[in-house]
Amino acid sequence: MSHSTTGKTLNLKLRVWRQKDNASRGEFRDYALVGISTEMSFLEMLDILNEQLLQQGEEPVNFDHDCREGICGTCSLMINGQAHGPDNGTTTCQLHMRRFHDGQMITIEPWRAKAFPVIRDLVVDRSAFDRIIQAGGYVSVRTGQAPEANSVPISKNDQESALDAAVCIGCGACVASCKNASAMLFVAAKVSHLAQLPQGAPERAARVLGMVGQMDSEEFGNCTNTSECEAACPAGVSVTHIARLNREYAKALYGSPLGLKGELLTSSGTGGD
Amino acid sequence: MSWLLATLRSSVGKKFVMGGTGLFLCFFLVVHLAGNLLLYAGPDAYNSYANKLHENVALLIVAEIGLFGAMLLHIYLAFVTASENRAARGATDYAMRQSKIPGRVIHVAGLAPDTTMYITGALIFGYIALHLCDFKFEVFADAAQLAADPYTKAAMVLSSTSRKVIYAIAAIVVGIHVSHGFASAFQSLGLNHPKYMPTIKTISKVFGVAVAIGFGSFVTWDGQRRCGCESPATMETAPTTMPSTAPAAATESAPAPTTPAETVPQS
Repeated sequence: MSHSTTGKTLNLKLRVWRQKDNASRGEFRDYALVGISTEMSFLEMLDILNEQLLQQGEEPVNFDHDCREGICGTCSLMINGQAHGPDNGTTTCQLHMRRFHDGQMITIEPWRAKAFPVIRDLVVDRSAFDRIIQAGGYVSVRTGQAPEANSVPISKNDQESALDAAVCIGCGACVASCKNASAMLFVAAKVSHLAQLPQGAPERAARVLGMVGQMDSEEFGNCTNTSECEAACPAGVSVTHIARLNREYAKALYGSPLGLKGELLTSSGTGGD
Repeated sequence: MSWLLATLRSSVGKKFVMGGTGLFLCFFLVVHLAGNLLLYAGPDAYNSYANKLHENVALLIVAEIGLFGAMLLHIYLAFVTASENRAARGATDYAMRQSKIPGRVIHVAGLAPDTTMYITGALIFGYIALHLCDFKFEVFADAAQLAADPYTKAAMVLSSTSRKVIYAIAAIVVGIHVSHGFASAFQSLGLNHPKYMPTIKTISKVFGVAVAIGFGSFVTWDGQRRCGCESPATMETAPTTMPSTAPAAATESAPAPTTPAETVPQS
């Protein structure tokens, strides 16, 4: 057994979560992979595993993936207990096998949250995020064609901060890495993004009340400010946005007619029609 | 009143209450520590402070209602959020967890102040119950202690080895709890600014250390020797213990333990 650190290929032991469907009980199953190139991405390594499984007549491992360049937010995976693996600011598809060493055991689990039920193996249902966005994460006015860029002045700071929040790709790593499975960073990113721009300002109260209400009814956990989400976020969304979400919520709850009348607070629909 | 219900029911509202009550209790810790530090200034200073505080009955009632209210809300929401947080993970927990925070250096076996708030909070609750039994309700006090002035009372309670150990551990646990809680409250209340947050986090850690050292220091306080209740006997022992040892050492600055609190000179 060689443990060369400069070797170009790796022999790996994988411990992968296998679960037939949401109703079944899942379990870990161990697989051995030989000759994995360090140049491969993590998902390519899983592709090799699946080819091997197909050849053996076994069911391949189901996992989410799409763009494979870190912008779509489809890939997930808890790799050795870390969302999107050991690197900061990257998604699983951007993770390369050179981050692992020969003979290493790699444990691969799905995102685990009550609000993200397992569909199969490593694939979870993240439509709770879609329902949160439907509860207010948008601007509902018809904007027509793109206006002249300088007709709506936005300060440099607001613009930068809004776009720092807008980079959220909705992958769910924040929920996965949070010890409370809280979706606060995801909700904060959208609320903070739109609250700082003039286009989002008119609906800011309804947005934050609706989205937080939906987040709560999806049964995500509460934020305890451990900042694990920030460290796990592949897009680098800061917990500063969570503080802005909290400010927005206070303003909406105690300072807007919607909040004082108690509308949009707990409903699972978007309400307000 | 629906906004009030939302404050107690929504996840963000609960954190407002948690942070608000937490900061109020931090403020109490500061006042309490400042008052207790008068123990080092001697019996006269401490007794006059204690007596003046207890003379103002209206203030005391309002303060106690506020403190118990804040404490109960804080504890109630701790139970509610902790059970919600456990449920939010779902039926299956991770087989393996690792932090991705590069600077997470303060931890013991993976346990950091911010991930153990529920445990430290539970320990503090137990301690507060004992502390109130010791000083407020005087459950374990003998006749001598009941008749003693505040300074001597403090010395008598802290003369017990069990209390020394428990109070020292509690001071450290409270320090750990507030080292995360103080900064976390600002974040929960939305009081976050890129410029000030690092300072608030530093203050929070310094505050935690100050609380641990400040309150913990009373374990080594030499008041027992000064007031003459140095006896190794615990407070649960026969009431004859205190008076028999007290007069011998009561010649220094401390009044005799049997002096009623009312006779302590004030001004």
